Amino acid sequence: MDPRELYLVCCVHTEEFRYQTPKMAADSVQSNLQDELEKFKAVQKQYQKAVETRQKLDAQLNENNIVKSELDLLESDAKVYKMMGPALVQQDVTEAKQTVGKRIEYIEGEMKRQDGMIKDLDKKQNTHRDKLAKLQQQFQKAQVQAMAKS
Amino acid sequence: MKLKFFDKMAGGSGEPQAIDLMQLALPQLNMLKEEIEQEVEVLQGSLQQLKIAQGRFIESTDSLNKFKKPESEGKEILVPLTSSLYVPGKLKDINNVLIDIGTGFYIEKTLPQAQGYFKRKVDFVTKQMERVQPVLIEKSKMRQVVTEVMNMKIQAQMSATQGQGVKS
Repeated sequence: MDPRELYLVCCVHTEEFRYQTPKMAADSVQSNLQDELEKFKAVQKQYQKAVETRQKLDAQLNENNIVKSELDLLESDAKVYKMMGPALVQQDVTEAKQTVGKRIEYIEGEMKRQDGMIKDLDKKQNTHRDKLAKLQQQFQKAQVQAMAKS
Repeated sequence: MKLKFFDKMAGGSGEPQAIDLMQLALPQLNMLKEEIEQEVEVLQGSLQQLKIAQGRFIESTDSLNKFKKPESEGKEILVPLTSSLYVPGKLKDINNVLIDIGTGFYIEKTLPQAQGYFKRKVDFVTKQMERVQPVLIEKSKMRQVVTEVMNMKIQAQMSATQGQGVKS
């Protein structure tokens, strides 16, 4: 099931039954469902944040790679300046290459870390999703029972 | 009506999946449409940004061409300190320019070298645009197909309820 679809279903149900809760035995199930939904939403938020960070890192990696390819085209006696605050400071070509190379290494490491995090969060999201589906079924059952009683 | 989707969400197999649009219910179709619309928006945004970047590089090439002439040397110029404040200056060196290559690095280049740099950049950006364009066109087509199927379904539903109304 698509997460958004599930989310919608949950929203509709919680909204619909908020008004009927007093006479319903499904109360505890509902609060469980709401708790779970909150957790699911929190994980979803974390996931989105991780994906965003990864995208930013990707953009930085791209930019650094472009700079590297440009530096590789230079003669060894070319003049390279590095912006430090508002001032331009002259730098050696090899030194500049080293700096950029190190940066690329660092960013690649960070990206791997983010990838791991995204994988973990994805798993977490899935377990929450399964739990939600189960709770939802329970809730519907309880609701049917409550209807039958009244 | 069948459409091939490269749907990464479905199983993550990466294989193109044929989805029969007629089999999908209206809410699903709506979701699919929203998804495609989002993709189209992102693609349009990147294309726009690429266009802006391309324009900047072309502008830089034009400015280079402007003071390439030997008589530019020693000419008076007005240097913008802010967008509304200018101070007079003189062109001292018309043979070398500094180029911002990103991430805080600047390279000194001779005019021909600088022109080569900008030409490379324009080519690069143009290539990226050529990569984005077909994808954008394909997605727009997909959006159109999904919208058509949705309309068909809505119409079918409407005529069905009308038929019922006549019967009862």
